[in-house]
Amino acid sequence: MASVLERLKASKTSYLYILPALIGLLFLVLYPFAYDIYISFTNMNIGHIRDFSLIGLTNFSYIFSDPDFIVIVENTVVWTVANVIPTVALGLLLALILNSKVRGKTIYRMFLIVPWAMPSFITLLIWKGMYDLQYGVFNKFLEQFGVAPINWLGDCHWAFPAIVIANIWLGYPFMMIIFSGALQSIPTELYEAASIDGAVGYRQMLHITIPLIRPTIILGLLLGSIWTFNNFNSAYLITAGGPGICTTIFITQAYNLAFGGLLNFSVAAAYALIAFVFLFFPGLLWTRYMGVTKSS
Amino acid sequence: MKGSSGGRWTVGKAIQSVLKHAFLIIMAVISIYPVLWVVSTAFTPGETLATGWHFLLGFVPVPDHPTIDHFASVLNLQVTGGTFADWLRNSLVITVSTVLASVALTLPAGYAFSRRVFPGRGALMFSFLLPTMFPGVVTIIPQFLIFATLGLVNSYLGCIIPYTVGSFALSIFIMKGAFDSVPRDLDEAATIDGASEFRAFWQILVPLTLPSIATVSLWAFMGSWLDFALAHVMLQSNSLWTLPLALYSLITPTYTYYGTFSAMSLIMAVPVFIVFMIFQKYLVTGLTSGSVKG
Repeated sequence: MASVLERLKASKTSYLYILPALIGLLFLVLYPFAYDIYISFTNMNIGHIRDFSLIGLTNFSYIFSDPDFIVIVENTVVWTVANVIPTVALGLLLALILNSKVRGKTIYRMFLIVPWAMPSFITLLIWKGMYDLQYGVFNKFLEQFGVAPINWLGDCHWAFPAIVIANIWLGYPFMMIIFSGALQSIPTELYEAASIDGAVGYRQMLHITIPLIRPTIILGLLLGSIWTFNNFNSAYLITAGGPGICTTIFITQAYNLAFGGLLNFSVAAAYALIAFVFLFFPGLLWTRYMGVTKSS
Repeated sequence: MKGSSGGRWTVGKAIQSVLKHAFLIIMAVISIYPVLWVVSTAFTPGETLATGWHFLLGFVPVPDHPTIDHFASVLNLQVTGGTFADWLRNSLVITVSTVLASVALTLPAGYAFSRRVFPGRGALMFSFLLPTMFPGVVTIIPQFLIFATLGLVNSYLGCIIPYTVGSFALSIFIMKGAFDSVPRDLDEAATIDGASEFRAFWQILVPLTLPSIATVSLWAFMGSWLDFALAHVMLQSNSLWTLPLALYSLITPTYTYYGTFSAMSLIMAVPVFIVFMIFQKYLVTGLTSGSVKG
């Protein structure tokens, strides 16, 4: 057991390779995270930027007793589920179709990948323009059929579906690509053997395709959930969480509290911490699942 | 697939094929529709979207009298002291520095995680992946406070350092995977033949993993060229803005300059789109290589 020190010494160069990146990680991720936990127990806000003090669990009890909180939890859960499931389903369907015998695959694929290849920051603002009440292209389109303009972003009932649709649009190409990759890695001999045994069409799909790409489907669901839950751009750039808190999720709530004028850093930090607890388990599953920490 | 029922033509197959194409065409149109809209708006005179365009075929927006004025006004854009040239320079300096720093730091780390065994390796690897589970704001708030203390708010470094660190989780993971895929015998043979470890790394591993290095560069590029949330917090002086902040300033609560906005969107997006199309094949491999083995 005395060899621990020796092993550490022998590994000196290994640590040196990692050290620069590790310093960055320590100062900009791990330290901020610890600091975030710390300020969530203080009263740091616009009135106490420098002279803040520990106030125990006050921020958390404030959040949990705030009627907005349950709305935001609901919004966040609905936002994640309503985005991830259609995104994965559409991506899978497109990948399956493109993996079958269809003419013009290359051209279809080029068009279908556009939402992913365009910067999301820009396309979301484009969606905002398309939803414009007076001049947006959707209302102009409806006008042709005599439909009265819909207040997409100003009406609570429309704003949420509006941002979900925009975010699904952003998401399916990525899923399509990872599923295409998985489908192409299935050996064709398996299908040949199955058709000799008389299995065709849906039965091949059910018994060969789906079981073999199940790991990728799970990966898509996990990664999709983490990214959607965390997706600041999609939830902020179109509606900024409004109208009211109709489209506010954890991440936009924390951002608005901190940088929306009141500099309410402590409550924002508490919000972010609660969000992290929500995310930690899918995240842990992902890293476990991918076996990324294993050696080669 | 020879020998299966694939060869014969049946009514059922024809219907299936029509349905497939109908679905693919609808999805393809949906996929490019916002881009059609922005191209049309960029070439339509006026800023309001109210007039100057019409629907072709009932849904494709087309300008009545196309103009390139909006592109000229992007280049002449000024927001209290900041100019387009400033924002382009800021974006370029921040992005190029981020890409270089990210590659320089993730290559050795990925190498160590792939080729060396040392105490705490698994825990360290896991800690680099932790940030993927953080909501971005968890770190933005304390990062802002730290940089405010260090006096780095309103400086390039205030963005370059967080962007670089932000790229680690994915990049180190991609590089480890890339080095893992190169057989150990190759670089071990070189060291046995008397090459230093660094030479083996530089002359054997780096050339063999160039596609992954390109991927890492591209992720760092995308993360910094297009970031809004952090830049919005860190760069408060107009002359220090990056392009995304200038773009966002065209959409205000009271008025939106849609014409100029669309032209600027295209100027910012076209280079990304081209690079992306070239590299898309490599982008996913790093992310999914562990998952498709089943």
